[in-house]
Amino acid sequence: MTSDTPLAIQVQGVTKSFLGQRALDDVDFEVARGEVHGLVGKNGAGKSTFMKILSGAQPPDSGQIIVGGTAFKALNPAEGRAAGIAIVYQNPELHLDLSVAANIFLGAEPRKAFGILDDKAMATRATELLARLGLDLPVNQRLGDLDIADRQQVAIAKAVREKAHVLLLDEPTAALNKAQAEFLFRLIRDLAKQGMAVVYVSHHLDEVLAISDRITVLRNGRKVALVEGGSADKDGLISMIVGRTLDAVETHRSLRPKTEPFLVMDGVSSTGGLDNVSLEVGRGEIVGLTGLIGGGANALAAVIGGIDHRHVAGRMSLGGEPYAPRAVREAIARGVLFIPEDMRGRGLVMSLSIAKNISLAALRRLSRLGWLKLAQETGVATDMSERLDLNPRAPSREVRFLSGGNQRKALLGRAIFADGRLFVLEEPTQGVDVESQRQIHDHLRSLANKGATIVFVSTDLEELIALADRILVLRNGRIEQALSPDRLDPERLLSAIQTQSTRSVN
Amino acid sequence: MSSPAATAAKPASRKPGALRGQDLGRYTLLIVLLLIVVVTAIGNPRFLSVNNLLNILFQVSALGIVASGQTILLIAGGLDLSVGAALSVAGLATALTIMHTGSVALGILAGVVAGTVIGAINGMLVATNRATPFIITLGTMTFLQGVAILMSGGSPINGTGALFDVFGLGDFLRVPWPVYAMFLAILVMFLILRFTTLGRYAFAIGGNEEAARLSGIPVRRIKIALYALSGLFVGVAGVILTGVLDSGLPSMGTGYELRAIAAVVIGGTPLIGGRGTVLGTLGGVLLLGLVSNSMNLLGVGANFQSAVLGLIITAAVLLQKKA
Repeated sequence: MTSDTPLAIQVQGVTKSFLGQRALDDVDFEVARGEVHGLVGKNGAGKSTFMKILSGAQPPDSGQIIVGGTAFKALNPAEGRAAGIAIVYQNPELHLDLSVAANIFLGAEPRKAFGILDDKAMATRATELLARLGLDLPVNQRLGDLDIADRQQVAIAKAVREKAHVLLLDEPTAALNKAQAEFLFRLIRDLAKQGMAVVYVSHHLDEVLAISDRITVLRNGRKVALVEGGSADKDGLISMIVGRTLDAVETHRSLRPKTEPFLVMDGVSSTGGLDNVSLEVGRGEIVGLTGLIGGGANALAAVIGGIDHRHVAGRMSLGGEPYAPRAVREAIARGVLFIPEDMRGRGLVMSLSIAKNISLAALRRLSRLGWLKLAQETGVATDMSERLDLNPRAPSREVRFLSGGNQRKALLGRAIFADGRLFVLEEPTQGVDVESQRQIHDHLRSLANKGATIVFVSTDLEELIALADRILVLRNGRIEQALSPDRLDPERLLSAIQTQSTRSVN
Repeated sequence: MSSPAATAAKPASRKPGALRGQDLGRYTLLIVLLLIVVVTAIGNPRFLSVNNLLNILFQVSALGIVASGQTILLIAGGLDLSVGAALSVAGLATALTIMHTGSVALGILAGVVAGTVIGAINGMLVATNRATPFIITLGTMTFLQGVAILMSGGSPINGTGALFDVFGLGDFLRVPWPVYAMFLAILVMFLILRFTTLGRYAFAIGGNEEAARLSGIPVRRIKIALYALSGLFVGVAGVILTGVLDSGLPSMGTGYELRAIAAVVIGGTPLIGGRGTVLGTLGGVLLLGLVSNSMNLLGVGANFQSAVLGLIITAAVLLQKKA
């Protein structure tokens, strides 16, 4: 406790499990009125689950939330709002076709007689409110015409109008530039001065340190530390975030001989956010891409995988031949298989069976003149399930009934069956259990040993160190650092990702 | 009518395992069908006569062909509202060609080509635009209704010669030719859906278009092919209906789009796509035919019939949603 100021929100012993895995384990948390409270942790540490429970999007398994003098076993979103909790996401959920004023007053519009909307009063009151917050926004402008920073301010103004006294900010600066971020920090400090309790979640530790009065560190679903913002430093924070996990990191790097480059990129920029990237990846090499959100790791994977083909400049070659896919199927024809992070949205066809999902990218090999060889397809799926230890061994089972780990295996099986020579994966083991993670890592290593080239995006420090032969840290669309995972510990990797300067340590 | 079916179908929905949703849809349909058969047979013994049953099949044959084509569109997450108007245009193309050339073969070709080309154009519009198939084909439907009126000059084009002899009057083993055509259409669609890459791509695109794209499937080309295929079926239905009526009429396809979509949905194919069967569609078509026929035999007035049909379609869709 910083002082005896009254608490705005207090969380006691909150626990939450998903499919038997603890996402949050007996977490206590409190924010005083007028306090900015930072919340940090690795991906998977439980931050997003915790925010969901605070905002009422998900109920905890046990524990309670005390807000406004009332104890809740679980909040629903309406109760959360009524209790004065407001959440602002990095991409605020607002109505783009309504005006700024209409967004701020949505659901509480000033009215004249007979219930007719009083647009004039609404505009006046919106102007007053924004002026009080030190914001200069055109109240009658359509929100969709404003940029992300302005929209975020509108979302915060709306929270103030709703008399929120707890404001949850989730990665608020991910899409902001430096000046916009500075402005947001001033706004947050002003709000805190007026008594607002702010929970600030971010991967940018410099920001968290700069703005927070206190910082809670989550690791593996547990609260491992509560530190005063003034007394903490970044290195200390990083070791608390990472913990002593060195012994947990297993590296199975086999000593593959250095081979000729397979993928060569020369000065590639893309409208998706790449800035003059040059890169060589050898046959049989496993390269891990990482960085903060928006740093360019995913943009680079999308360009290599043929997903984003709006290059603005640069050249690529694959196995010595020029490589410029204009559609995903051209990339697949060259043996480049992209495996997206979002399995449900972009990867699997949930209404189809395991067999039909595995064969999808290479139906040509299972058909003659447009006629499918169904028996052969079942055989392929059975073999692949055997090879990847994909359970259940029931090729006709729809993939929506599988666990996350087995769904990822099915996606990997599709890429293998499509004769992948270069696998591009996003977060290859996100959301899977430890055993499946180990298996997927083993399969990727054995593919590399057989000569396949693997490029994967990950924010999981242990995964990067365990799996990659080389780790590339991207920032602002550029490759900022190339690290060897040998003798690299998660702490040093995290501080490399967190480094703000732009020097190359190649 | 729907509530006993709903309660009877409940146990099926509790069954664990793979095919829950489809099973519920299928059982509901079967139970409703049986119920109608029993009620009508009690009310009017003529209902179960071979002649009447053949008559029902004869009456739904064009609908069955159109609905078979529509099935693969719905599976692929698409929809074509213009099939009714396209059927009129195809039928008029047939009738006009026969009138001007005297050749039935050329007339058949004209109708089938007209239907296929219209389908391909719909497919191109849907594949290259962000607007939903519903709005796009609502537009082409209105356009084609206008075209049909212009083609006919507002009055029937009578006389189709041999086409009428076969489809209007002819039968084989007492079964009228259009009924064979319907079963052939269903068989063809069944084979496409189960045994061809085109059918598989339709399921994949309807189930998850982005995943299909990331798997290298040429989504646009496949969509155009699917709409053209459905258009081919519409063309065939137009030719047959022209033969049955011995004339081409600008209104001959009116209402077919909604009844075809209703039959597909009643048959268990969800509007969001990704799954479905043409045998289910056959069930949906038979249900619609049986209901009309039984209401005729039970002396239900024409105005009342439309309302009852609407209730059945709504109930079928609601039951499917629950699953």
